[in-house]
Amino acid sequence: MERGEYLVVMGLCLLITLPLELLLGARVWRRPRRLLVAMAPLVLAYSIWDIAMIAAGSWSYSEEKLTGILLPFEMPLEELVFFIVVPICGLLTLEAVGNVLTALGRLRAGEPLGRVLRDLPHGGGPRPAPSASTEEKVA
Amino acid sequence: MGIYTLTALVSVVVVLAIELLWLRTGILRTWRYWLAMAIVMGFQVPVDGWLTKLSDPLVLYNEADMTGVRAPWDIPVEDFAFGFGMVTLAMVLWVHAGRREERRSGTGDGAGDSGRRQEQRA
Repeated sequence: MERGEYLVVMGLCLLITLPLELLLGARVWRRPRRLLVAMAPLVLAYSIWDIAMIAAGSWSYSEEKLTGILLPFEMPLEELVFFIVVPICGLLTLEAVGNVLTALGRLRAGEPLGRVLRDLPHGGGPRPAPSASTEEKVA
Repeated sequence: MGIYTLTALVSVVVVLAIELLWLRTGILRTWRYWLAMAIVMGFQVPVDGWLTKLSDPLVLYNEADMTGVRAPWDIPVEDFAFGFGMVTLAMVLWVHAGRREERRSGTGDGAGDSGRRQEQRA
């Protein structure tokens, strides 16, 4: 278990954010193509940064707590996983918060609580959802 | 100060420039972005705190390459710039990718219901 500790931490991040997808309708995991398009340049850029910092001796990783699996340019597998998992947790949070704000807006507009709650796991709901295409403005 | 301090600050500037000068998703003017970011930074503390704890660290830093300021716990302050930049970039790219999908599937007006339904179908 020790050598997998970093991966376990990453796994817990995915586990703890899963309800955002399943209960709050984040719809991030359910849009894999969009997720890939968004994530690819980020993973590339941050991997290059990581590789450069490792090469410069700025960053290093515990040999006891990591699997020891190295990708090209000496980048630990765990770092690649980090650059995928943490941004996805951020996206799940963004979408879930948007859906909750939309739901609150519907409640304020007088819609019944039951209907609003029923729509929540599916995303914004049947009403025009401002978060979907035109970003809601900061008041 | 050192290479980590410098690159962490540069990463935030570059990400903000990508949003403000290039992709212009408008996400920085939304409540959902700032609320989500506050939540993400809140969760960064236990996760990053575990990775960087000096008593038993998973990731190690060359102290000469950073300010050496660690808080809360043993988290290098630079990590917060790193995390802010990375997660902001993810959100900007995600919203941008969604807009592009919408446009490509023919709901160019992006208004209300049709836009969202298109997104859900994708």
